[in-house]
Amino acid sequence: MARIEFRNLCKRFGEATVIPGMDLEIDDGEFVALLGPSGCGKSTSLLILAGIYMPSGGELLFDGHVVNEVEAKDRNVGIVFQSYALYPQMTVRENIMFPLRFKRTPADEARERTNSIADLVQIGELLDRRPSELSGGQQQRVALARALVKEPQLLLLDEPLSNLDASLRLSMRTEIKSLQKKLGITTILVTHDQVEATTMADRIICMRAGRIEQIGAPNDLYHRPSSLFVAGFIGSPPINLVVGRAENGQFAAGSVALPVEGAAGDVTVGLRPEHLSFGKSGLPGRIAQLEPMGREVLYVVDTGIGYVRVLEQGSSAAHASSEEVRIAFAAEDSLVFDSGGKLLECARIRPPS
Amino acid sequence: MTASADLVLPRSNAKASVDWTTIAARSRLRRRTEAVGAYAFLIAVSLPIVLPYFWLVTVAFSAKLGIAETKVLWRSMAVLVPAIIAFWLVGALSAHRRRMLVGFAVITVLAGMVFAVLVGPDLYLGNFIFLVEPNFESAVLSRGGQVTATTQYPSVWHAFANSLILAGSQTAIVVTVASLAGYYLSRFQFPGRVATLRSLLVLHAFPVLTLIVPLFLMLYWIGLLDTLFGVILVLVAFELPFAIFIMKGFFDGVPWDIEMSALTDGASRRQAFLRVVLPQVKNGIIAIAVFSFIRGWEEYIFVFTFLIRNTNWTMSLYMYFVRDDMMGVDYGVVSAVGVFYLVPSLLLYAVAQKYLSQITLGGVKG
Repeated sequence: MARIEFRNLCKRFGEATVIPGMDLEIDDGEFVALLGPSGCGKSTSLLILAGIYMPSGGELLFDGHVVNEVEAKDRNVGIVFQSYALYPQMTVRENIMFPLRFKRTPADEARERTNSIADLVQIGELLDRRPSELSGGQQQRVALARALVKEPQLLLLDEPLSNLDASLRLSMRTEIKSLQKKLGITTILVTHDQVEATTMADRIICMRAGRIEQIGAPNDLYHRPSSLFVAGFIGSPPINLVVGRAENGQFAAGSVALPVEGAAGDVTVGLRPEHLSFGKSGLPGRIAQLEPMGREVLYVVDTGIGYVRVLEQGSSAAHASSEEVRIAFAAEDSLVFDSGGKLLECARIRPPS
Repeated sequence: MTASADLVLPRSNAKASVDWTTIAARSRLRRRTEAVGAYAFLIAVSLPIVLPYFWLVTVAFSAKLGIAETKVLWRSMAVLVPAIIAFWLVGALSAHRRRMLVGFAVITVLAGMVFAVLVGPDLYLGNFIFLVEPNFESAVLSRGGQVTATTQYPSVWHAFANSLILAGSQTAIVVTVASLAGYYLSRFQFPGRVATLRSLLVLHAFPVLTLIVPLFLMLYWIGLLDTLFGVILVLVAFELPFAIFIMKGFFDGVPWDIEMSALTDGASRRQAFLRVVLPQVKNGIIAIAVFSFIRGWEEYIFVFTFLIRNTNWTMSLYMYFVRDDMMGVDYGVVSAVGVFYLVPSLLLYAVAQKYLSQITLGGVKG
């Protein structure tokens, strides 16, 4: 188990700077998600942690020791790739035992550990098959077993669930999380899927273009996103963003003016669909489209500030298409960002009375 | 409204009159005709390729007096051609795989029996005398009334061994170097990488014969003229560019993830290469090994130019001198040597052909 620390860590590939300088601390036994769109440097960070890439500058510390120049084979890090990266010419058993060969683990012990880890991830009966004979979910479990069998001080998961089908993804999510809690291994999950990150991790590191945009618990990122980018990235269906101008306590956008406090100048207002509801008063509009989602219905409403998504509970639609409605929301759920995309902590917007 | 009703009526009539059985029969006929046409074409173009080998074998096993006996050739043809046509008919017309296999077996047995009756009595193993008798030339020539032997032949097994050494060591060197070089070109960035890749192909484009004089001089100065090792080096140099290129393509197909995974699993770069990457390019290695071996086995120009003593003869040189001395005198022996020369290549291809068909060439990637 290990405490991980990045000190002004940077990575360049030739001319291109992928990570300009990153500071980060991850506690022993913590489950952290690196979340961001593709190309934001999250996989590069992962490969630096694994020792595949050497940092171009700064320091990487495991338990307070600089490991910049420690080779991958000596780091005792387990990694699960998106492609699983199983060795096709070996059986499942040989795959799982592979890391133990280099640790010079005695044969008896290696066999025992392979069996117990295989039972832990429930692939005990598949040990003599080849990876090509397994389903995606089974391959995933083998990859996990191979990463865990050497009792790593750090477990890295690179988009581990994105090749699985929806229902399997859901159960693997739960399984990986409980496995991590049981073993207490410091774990870093790389993903571009905000649901994966929020459901599994203790803490989310939201990245953008090689920089950390925000670090926090899943709830913090959802309720108080520090920037427009995080607000747009977290939440499904995505947040409604309205660009406008705040002057004299009025937020003007399109043909509508809403009361605003604590903001002036060009601002962007964020309203999550699930925080909006239909009421007697509020922003007037006409329902343009309905999207039943099972437990909820997503309405797309044409208003004076453009199309607004509203998420309503209930399996059947309470409103019909082209119905005239009024959208209400609570002021404390509103988010106001300045022209640079930073959250204005004290700014609030209210529905028209 | 009336207009649309008019349009609908004739259509529904036409629908009722569709005869699915006729349509199905027509398309079945078309499929059969196409199959027959395709087989006929393929057999027509493969006959000129198959026949020479067939005659070679027939002559080698039948020419008692050193002359290809037309009678035997025609008789064996009379067995072979109907057999091929029968194979083709069975292949084209049988509906089930099992029935086809049974048909093939029946034809094989029948053809074998007819062959035994028609050609069997004329079979003759005497042409293979060179396998046991180093001084076979006199023996053979005396059959035609001549007695003077002109060439001093080494044992054919000596030439056979030389060919094995030549082709084998050349293959070993090519496989080792091409695997390492292909891996390096596929995985590492270094200045001149793209230029190297391009020049590999250009190198392969040059006709090698143009270099024969400079190479002769070079081998002479180094002191490797008239040694097998000299020829091996020359062949390796010419074989390598293409082999490296093929291996690079195979290594490109091995995902990075797997190698990274091996490294985090505790393998060094070298161990990851040997235990994880190399087993995955097995097909590529088999392919370049077979091609290199065949290339070395059939090599003629360089051995003819760079090897002088008859103890250094390879099979191709042996074949050449036998042909030189006996052509016009004894076709049987020439054919028998040819058959003997052919066997290893044939065996090798038979064993390796399922790997050879998997070769794909990657493009030059930056």
